[in-house]
Amino acid sequence: MIRFEQVSKRYPNGHQGLDRLDFHIHTGEMVFITGHSGAGKSTLLKLIMCMERPTSGQVHVGGQNLRDLGSDDIPYLRRQVGVVFQNHQLLFDRTVFDNVALPLIINGTPRDEIGRRARAALDKVGLLKKENLYPIALSGGEQQRVGIARAVVHKPALLLADEPTGNLDPGLSAEIMALFEDFNRVGVTVLIASHDLPLIAKLDHRMLTLNAGQLLKDGE
Amino acid sequence: MAENKRNPVKRPEKRQKGPAQKAPKGAARSQNDWRNPVRGWLGSHRDSAVQAAIRVLRQPLSSAMTVLVMTIVLALPMGLGVLIGQVERLGVNWQGAAQLSVYLEDQVDAAAADVLRADIASLEEVREARLLDKELALVEFQQHSGMGDALQQLAYNPLPSVIVVTPSSIEGGASALEPLRDRLAALEGVDLVQIDLLWVERLTAILAMMERFTGGLAILLVSALLLVMINTIRLAIESRREEIQVIKLVGGTDAFVRRPFLYIGVLYGLLAGVLAWALLIGGLAWLNSTVRDVAALYQSGFELAGMPAADGLLLVIGAMLLGLVGAWLAVGKHIRDIEPQ
Repeated sequence: MIRFEQVSKRYPNGHQGLDRLDFHIHTGEMVFITGHSGAGKSTLLKLIMCMERPTSGQVHVGGQNLRDLGSDDIPYLRRQVGVVFQNHQLLFDRTVFDNVALPLIINGTPRDEIGRRARAALDKVGLLKKENLYPIALSGGEQQRVGIARAVVHKPALLLADEPTGNLDPGLSAEIMALFEDFNRVGVTVLIASHDLPLIAKLDHRMLTLNAGQLLKDGE
Repeated sequence: MAENKRNPVKRPEKRQKGPAQKAPKGAARSQNDWRNPVRGWLGSHRDSAVQAAIRVLRQPLSSAMTVLVMTIVLALPMGLGVLIGQVERLGVNWQGAAQLSVYLEDQVDAAAADVLRADIASLEEVREARLLDKELALVEFQQHSGMGDALQQLAYNPLPSVIVVTPSSIEGGASALEPLRDRLAALEGVDLVQIDLLWVERLTAILAMMERFTGGLAILLVSALLLVMINTIRLAIESRREEIQVIKLVGGTDAFVRRPFLYIGVLYGLLAGVLAWALLIGGLAWLNSTVRDVAALYQSGFELAGMPAADGLLLVIGAMLLGLVGAWLAVGKHIRDIEPQ
């Protein structure tokens, strides 16, 4: 599903984001990326989303070499991926329902189907009753779940999460991780960047440990 | 689903790029009924239009300011254009009254003048010839010139007899009438021939000048309108930077992001166009009462005809187009530069 071949990313200010990274994530896997802040976790996710381009090396997503994608193709790549962020990235002037429906509106889903699928996604994260509220009226954990519903509403084959439990207490964090495991169980490839080691240790999944842009450890 | 995993980048709406991409096959394809993309596209346009209306209404004060500025900028050249058009119409009416005045020598008596009139009337280029003998001319002059008292002081009638000639055609203006004038001037007993078309030509020339002035003004004001539009849309984009980033992050194309802003431009144009139309109708009616007063002083029933509906529709459509063009100029590169961080 995701293959990195000798991928390096050097920023214009000289910072080495990633250094000759090599790994392969198979379809249906659930993988954690850990490492201290600045180790390159976010850079790795941004390369998969084409938010940034590698300085050298090649990134393959779903058999597609991202090097071959022009800027016009990038939106169509992103429609196949769901992303969850630590800061939720919700639109605060739209209701919970409209936030979740956004990817469906963008990819041109028929109107009647939008309602059905957005409600199904909200139901999955337990927020069906709050679809008409604005995100500002929700707690941090609920906002994060809206973000997750938005990430999965269009049934992506790949789900990325960047510190999805960053601001949440341990109980809520465990709930969120359980949600990701649910999606993984139905076949979605899940890739989560997190430095919450105690939580990750409790879950039995593959873990890529980064240090200064290099792969320190690949295993359970 | 399985198809998606193997090949996550598929672009049903557009040409495929790169050898690794394949069109979805089998079950995946059969779901892609041709109606769905069309319906989705229409739905997306409807959403964009609704979004645009919401954004305009959410900031009523600044939206109203923008619309009012656009209204004034539109109404000014359009109003001048309509006024000039109406005065031109008046000028065309007056051209029908273009005449040649044939002044007779003093010694020509009434009978000879009448023979002369009949001769002139029989000419091919002449539609009508009317004799205004010196007594009649004096009465008319006293009535209309405002110099009646001064004329009564004179011991004799200083006015000559006149044959008023209406040419059968005034095409080509005064210069085309010159051969006729020369022929009339050569007749026995004719003192002087004057072409009264000259002032109509002057009016036409002045109107042409005004028209050009209005045209230049319109170009300047339309440029101003575009600048207002560009600035408004740029501000709207800037205030929605985060939203644009989120939309692009979940796969929104530049076109999708652009669309609501283009609709905002069209909406502003629509509102400003309709308001400008209303303003012109009101303004012309307001002006009309004074125009009637002035016309009455010239013994004319002239009045402004109001704003033609076709001109009004043209104004609204033009304003919408200008809004669209302004918005397009504003979004072009700006939206491409906003990328998710």
